Amino acid sequence: MLQRGYNFSVPTASKTIRVKVLFFGRLKEIADRSEDVELTEGASIESLFARFVARYPELARYRGSVVASRNQEFSAWTTLLHSGDEVAFLPPVSGG
Amino acid sequence: MPGTLPTDDLFLLIREPIDHAALVAHVRAAEDGAVVTFDGCVRNHSHGRRTLYLDYEAYESMALAKIREISAAIHEKFAIHRVAIAHRLGRLQIGETSVFIAVSAPHRPAAFDACRFAIDTLKRTVPIWKKEYFEDGAVWADGELPPAPPDTQIAKPAS
Repeated sequence: MLQRGYNFSVPTASKTIRVKVLFFGRLKEIADRSEDVELTEGASIESLFARFVARYPELARYRGSVVASRNQEFSAWTTLLHSGDEVAFLPPVSGG
Repeated sequence: MPGTLPTDDLFLLIREPIDHAALVAHVRAAEDGAVVTFDGCVRNHSHGRRTLYLDYEAYESMALAKIREISAAIHEKFAIHRVAIAHRLGRLQIGETSVFIAVSAPHRPAAFDACRFAIDTLKRTVPIWKKEYFEDGAVWADGELPPAPPDTQIAKPAS
């Protein structure tokens, strides 16, 4: 994704970013919503998930059996997020 | 002919019954000697229990992107002509087709290999989920964890 108009060389004080979050399958039955979330710049997919675990503790036990995507691509949990990103938490897939 | 651009391929996520004949007709052409299809259908049992019906859901934008990637991969790997892949969403009854894949090629080995590769990859990488309904309850089907890039060392672990 393009980082429109952002300059890494300029230090900023805890800027806020906004990402869209989606849950699917059994996760959707726990965190029954898709929503925009405000995060501090530098937040990772892992820290975003942790925020939802704080609100829906039952999510914690699925951490080991979930993959994450950022903008429709499977992504590492350490991936840093940018404003406008779409993040999804995906249980094991069972299509076909 | 390897290297054919997949501009004539067809990818569908649909809530109505899949039209097998239309997909086969879409891929077959005068230069093809073979069309191989895979018809994935809803089984009436799972883990020893009688299945009543299934509900499928998808992360639709990503599922279509992943299906396109599968098509690109089989065009790259096998000497095939056209590909059609359709996956049904919503409630499916026993015996209905949940996924249908048709691959055409000048010669059958490539069509067989590509079709097999396509369904095996779809089941591992396309974000679609099914919930199985039984007489005494419902469960999300055991699935496969898609391959994701490894975590890097840059970020601090979540507290």
